[in-house]
Amino acid sequence: MSITPEAQQKTSFSEPGAKTSDGLDKSAVKSGATHTKANSRRWQDLGMALIYMAPALIFFIVFTFMPFFRAIWLSLFVTDAKGETVRFNDVKYYSRILNLDGSGRDEYLKSILTTIQFTFMVVPLGIVVSVALAVLATVKVNLIGVFRTIFTSSIAISVASAGVIWALIYSPNVKLTQWILDLLHSKSTSILNDTATALAAVAFMSVWTGLGFNFIITLAGIQAIPQDLYESGLIDGASGWKSFRYLTLPLLTPTLLFLFIINTISSFQAFTQFNVLIGNEGPDSSTNVFVFSIFKSFWSDNRYGFASAMSVVLFVVLLILTFVQFRLLDRRVHYS
Amino acid sequence: MSTAPISREINVTQLRVFDILKKIGSYILLLLASLLVLFPLFFSLSLAVQGPTVAPNLLPDFGKLDFNVFGDVFAQEKNLGRWIINSFVVSLAVTVGQLVTSSLAAYALATLQFPGKNFFFFIFLGTLMIPWEATIIPNYINVASWGWKDSYQGLVLPFIASGFGIFLLRQYFLTIPKDLYEAAVIDGCGRTRYLWAILLPLSRPALATLAVYAFLNTWNQYYWPLLITDDPTWRTTQVGITAFRSSEISVFNLQMAATIIVMLPTLILLILGQRQLVRGLTAGALKG
Repeated sequence: MSITPEAQQKTSFSEPGAKTSDGLDKSAVKSGATHTKANSRRWQDLGMALIYMAPALIFFIVFTFMPFFRAIWLSLFVTDAKGETVRFNDVKYYSRILNLDGSGRDEYLKSILTTIQFTFMVVPLGIVVSVALAVLATVKVNLIGVFRTIFTSSIAISVASAGVIWALIYSPNVKLTQWILDLLHSKSTSILNDTATALAAVAFMSVWTGLGFNFIITLAGIQAIPQDLYESGLIDGASGWKSFRYLTLPLLTPTLLFLFIINTISSFQAFTQFNVLIGNEGPDSSTNVFVFSIFKSFWSDNRYGFASAMSVVLFVVLLILTFVQFRLLDRRVHYS
Repeated sequence: MSTAPISREINVTQLRVFDILKKIGSYILLLLASLLVLFPLFFSLSLAVQGPTVAPNLLPDFGKLDFNVFGDVFAQEKNLGRWIINSFVVSLAVTVGQLVTSSLAAYALATLQFPGKNFFFFIFLGTLMIPWEATIIPNYINVASWGWKDSYQGLVLPFIASGFGIFLLRQYFLTIPKDLYEAAVIDGCGRTRYLWAILLPLSRPALATLAVYAFLNTWNQYYWPLLITDDPTWRTTQVGITAFRSSEISVFNLQMAATIIVMLPTLILLILGQRQLVRGLTAGALKG
């Protein structure tokens, strides 16, 4: 979703030190002949720049900006089965989604709540596991590279493929799953059909699919901590747990905050795992997360206007999260 | 907790024994963690080679492993080969497209000085703020009305431009000394030739990062191909594999064999391109 903290301080290629290009070239502001020459050069460069940027710009206009504004437009209209606007609808869809219309039907608010619940299940567990793996992956032994690749592996596996595998892991036909359920004295016969377990099961699978990414980022964060800090920590008697608690963890906080936001955003966008593992709203709508419910309004009910209003709501939520992330990254830059 | 006073008392041999024990402990922990992380993959492999059973065991009977399943699955699902071809075509086309559009735009932003540069910078930054979910409905309506359902252009073109790619390459281009550009221009090297003959060859690491990242993400796409493919022959691997699962819901070994087959290309790519991928993810992360 955006540039990570590491970009500010990692290796050579993200070094923004050289000559920050965003600003206008101040050297061009000189007097006399140099001025006009530099000026004509800059206008010439504008022409070339437009040509170079044209392919990206055209694709962004056609597939990002115009659809985005059209989604906002559609959200204010009742639409027909082809997605054409039929009748202006004001902001009724928005008040319907947020249950401000006094109808008392709050299934969409509930859907947002389910998404938040899902996020709380996935994000903290995912971060804790990846910190544990990353700390483990910093030990200096042979073949550590192989282990790091293994810990990264889930990044190469699509959520759809993972969904097919985990659907079987959760299948009551598999003896292992049944054994674990018996061990936990669970009465449920099918994890994915039980209100109590369905959402947690999808969340657990999502922790696994996100593990590779979280591990890479956490490991990079730990490796960015200067080694001599640990050495001086050792002199002060900080080793093992103490050095983790008082050195690694505080210095890793910016990375963890970044992961927290990025994971929250991707949890809010989760769809594939729900469509593959559950395929409907789940038992008692317990797995009806927001993007799935957009999909249903859009795909099954062909309510393009209403589904557009829902996706604009999602956009606003994600935008707020993105700004929070930028603020946190800003703070970090000032501190360091 | 503090080991310092203790270690002063023990002699060198004991220290070495302690080191070895620590190493063994690390390996045991690493192996256990690997086993847990890889469990779903082992699980799928184990189920795939167990033969057509309705109540699979965790471990297969090693006496009669059935590896024919990987061939049988192509006979059972005639379209599996086509899905793999589709995914390769789409992923390669998107990768090449993103490399081209991103390097051109990043070149303009990083090297040229022109009026309105900040404006364009923010336009590209803005694309990162708009989630795919917010544009998917109008995109679907458009693509359907253009008759692009069940076609490569429908699967490829919406992803040809990448905000992530532009920023990744821009960051890298900025590290290449500006003097090189000035000198090349003085020597009569055109702007496009500088990009092609000097900048891009120097930027191979960043291009490799973008390529690995774009390929992986496109191969693993699910939502968009699900929407715009009706005809089974036009499915990509990810949509195909989930459809195959629904049609063979109780044939576990075939399901798992097909899943392993479609996971292989990206797993191999991870092993070969891990360095590039890690660099890209830690530089600017975009998760879709």
